[in-house]
Amino acid sequence: MKKRKFRYLHSFQGRINQSLLLIVGIAVLSFMIISINQTNQTVKNTSAEYTSQLIQMVNENIEDYIGNMENIAHIVTGNSDVRNFLYTVNDDEMVHNTYSQKVAEQFKTLKETRNDIYNIGILGNDGRYMINDRYTVMNIHANLEEQEWYYKAKQGQEVISSSHVQNIVENEYHWVVTLSREIPNLIEPDNNGVFFVDLNYSSISNLCEEINLGTKGYVFILDDQGNLVYHPKQQLIYSGLWEENLDTVMNATEEEIYSPDGTRLFTISKSEKTGWTVVGVTYMDEMLSGTKRIRVMYYLMAVILIGVALLLSILLSDMITMPLRKLRESMKSVENGNFDLEIEEPQTGDEISDLFRSFKIMILKIRQLMEHGIQEQREKRKMELNALQAQINPHFLYNTLDSIIWMAEDGDTRDVVLMTSALARLLRKSISNKNETVMLSEEIEYTRSYLTIQKMRYKDKLEYEIDVDSSINHAEIVKLIVQPLVENSIYHGIKNKENGKGMVRIEGRYEDDEIVIRISDNGVGMTPEQLKHVFDDRVIDTKRNGVGVQNVQHRIQLYYGTDYGLSFESEENVGTTVTIRLPDTMQVDKNDGRKDG
Amino acid sequence: MKKNENKYLFLAVVGIIVIAVVILFLYLNSEDAGSTGTEQQVKIVCIPKAMDDSNDFWTAMIEGAQMAALDNDVDLTIMSPRLETDIDVQNQMIEDAIAMQPNAIVLAPCDYIKTTPYAQKVVDAGIKLLILDSTMDKDFGCTVVATDNVEAGRKMGEYMKGHLNEDSVIGIVGHVKGASTATDREKGIREAIGEFEDQIVDVVFCNSSYSTAIEVTEQMLAEHPDINVIFGLNEYSAVGAARAIKKLGLTGKVHMIGFDSSLEEVSMMEEGVIDAIVVQKALNMGYLGVTIAYQESLSSEIQEDVDSGSVLITKDTIYTEENQKLLFPFHKND
Repeated sequence: MKKRKFRYLHSFQGRINQSLLLIVGIAVLSFMIISINQTNQTVKNTSAEYTSQLIQMVNENIEDYIGNMENIAHIVTGNSDVRNFLYTVNDDEMVHNTYSQKVAEQFKTLKETRNDIYNIGILGNDGRYMINDRYTVMNIHANLEEQEWYYKAKQGQEVISSSHVQNIVENEYHWVVTLSREIPNLIEPDNNGVFFVDLNYSSISNLCEEINLGTKGYVFILDDQGNLVYHPKQQLIYSGLWEENLDTVMNATEEEIYSPDGTRLFTISKSEKTGWTVVGVTYMDEMLSGTKRIRVMYYLMAVILIGVALLLSILLSDMITMPLRKLRESMKSVENGNFDLEIEEPQTGDEISDLFRSFKIMILKIRQLMEHGIQEQREKRKMELNALQAQINPHFLYNTLDSIIWMAEDGDTRDVVLMTSALARLLRKSISNKNETVMLSEEIEYTRSYLTIQKMRYKDKLEYEIDVDSSINHAEIVKLIVQPLVENSIYHGIKNKENGKGMVRIEGRYEDDEIVIRISDNGVGMTPEQLKHVFDDRVIDTKRNGVGVQNVQHRIQLYYGTDYGLSFESEENVGTTVTIRLPDTMQVDKNDGRKDG
Repeated sequence: MKKNENKYLFLAVVGIIVIAVVILFLYLNSEDAGSTGTEQQVKIVCIPKAMDDSNDFWTAMIEGAQMAALDNDVDLTIMSPRLETDIDVQNQMIEDAIAMQPNAIVLAPCDYIKTTPYAQKVVDAGIKLLILDSTMDKDFGCTVVATDNVEAGRKMGEYMKGHLNEDSVIGIVGHVKGASTATDREKGIREAIGEFEDQIVDVVFCNSSYSTAIEVTEQMLAEHPDINVIFGLNEYSAVGAARAIKKLGLTGKVHMIGFDSSLEEVSMMEEGVIDAIVVQKALNMGYLGVTIAYQESLSSEIQEDVDSGSVLITKDTIYTEENQKLLFPFHKND
């Protein structure tokens, strides 16, 4: 039962389906995996490129700011008013005031053009200074000598500071990036003043904050020393709550590096001009979140493709296996014994149509062989029938002749004539008729002759009665079926009967559209055991007529089929009745007769 | 007939497998996306004591909270009274926050006693409670993220011990009498100065008001003219005391240490009125508060109390890279 349920899976079509599906499935899946990877890679690359562009833009903007400050520095440090203001000695106050006014004027102009500048200042060594304007007071507590931008500029370097809080103006604490350089003193070369310009830190922090690298991504900036110029989580880093691999970034030779755990991508852009490193941090999961829709689309595509493949494979396999199934049906019908089927050869011209052709030829040959066989069988049966019919028991002949001799010696001429003529009739019947069948009346006549002889031999011991309906006299029956049964009755039933007269009765009737002949005797009968073995071949009595019960049965069935034949009823010490059933061979005549009648 | 049935069976089996695979994929996919999606986002309400652009402490704390929200993909709502003294306003906000049914409420209670019943409501509503900055008169068994004020006081005491000798006379200007922060800081100071503890002659309170601070300091100095060491226990106390010292011309004669930072304090420190200050890490407090609230919302495990830290800053260390960030919170519109 279980096997049948999954028969389709094991069928040829099922296997074609499975193979096709497997191939398509593998193809679709590999395609999908490759596509998704490729998409991820592309998205990653695009995203990295985009980040890189943004970061470079930040760097360029910063360079722009710094460049601007350098320009300002250039203008201011080269300005003679500034030098005069800082270095001229022995001025009267009026003249100095003029210088200071001019410088203040210049600073005002510069500050007006650039609103990202907090402070512009020049600092002399002797307490002369100017920050922004003539009124701004320097924070006396600001410890200039300890501030890098100041002492390094004094040493002659141009300094771009990291982000820091500028405290040079009293009560002002702004986050700035300071650019500073010395102002050459032509009068006393060792006594240089310092110029500085403070860039509003928000210019830079805004640049970084405006960059959108996903919700979690951010930008940070390191100066040439590796100090943080800008980092959104600067305080967290100082407290150890946020880990940033600043050293790795500083020492990176590539423009893109991954964080150790691979969750973040650092895009690095170093500026030659400022020495600063701008780093964009992007989170991989955010970067790839955009591919989700694409991935879903791929999955849907895969499902649709597999679905289509499934349908196609079923259609295809159906088409491919259709002739095969036809062939199988044909074979099945042949299996069931139907050789006369019309085989339609499919016009596909492939191996299966070859198979069909071969099968057709095979069926044809089998049919020929069978016809041949049937012919042979028929002939064989004819010969067998002939052989079976040809025999007249020599014992019977001898016994009969012996009886005749005895009767002749007794001078019983009448009886001799009677018996001899009966024997003559018997012999003539058995040799004259070459046909397989005889008319029932002839068969009965033949039996009567036989009974005549036997009655004379057994004298008072045997009586017989023949009662055959005259309507079936003309029925054609296989010959020699009644006489052997009568012979059987005499030899087995009556001969052994100890007392009383033996009686053989032959009845012929038309019953239920069949011809029925009953031969009954009142002999010794049979035990149920004997009755059971009545058709067995083994029970051949050599003394008896060779034409036995089984012989008769065999011939009837050879001729009319197994629906007809003999049946026995018997009771021990009461008698035996044999019933012969034969088809109605004169039905047409009878129907005609009825019509007439 | 049988064959067809088998075919449909086969179709059905294949169909089911395909659908199962698709569902599996989509499921994995959606889980993938879940980390950035909004469905499973943890919702946290943070209620500080005050939100005011001029108040650097709470501004930094809120900034930290927002950073943590961004890092952990938390749906963060900030509700805050304008002033620390708006206790009723804050209590109303706690109720509003409960109505929002967040996973957790991060609360910096305005009042030691009056806030308690509202905090209880949070716990009763089954919402995770996390306390920031200061405690209340009831222990809710929840995580407290705050400056370890005893430790901060100890830092003040240890630094000032360098200026102490047997002749030192010590005065303390506190903010609110009985406030846990004031008590703890004082305790830390007393622990740290050890043998000089007896030389503390007076402890006065200013109720977090500059003018009161000036008054009480002046009063204290009038009562104890020999005081030469003053501790200011919060920004108001420190600035008030420093102003008083400056006003009385005692700069350099009286050593003074303050708490919390403001530009005025920095300025005073540059001037030399104030020797040093101890600064809390407000940003860290906010960051840790929200981060821990987020973690506890996911794991339901109560973490231990966290010290968000404090730093001692002197005139010389004002402009170090780290301290600048603490002392001068950077605002974009500066």
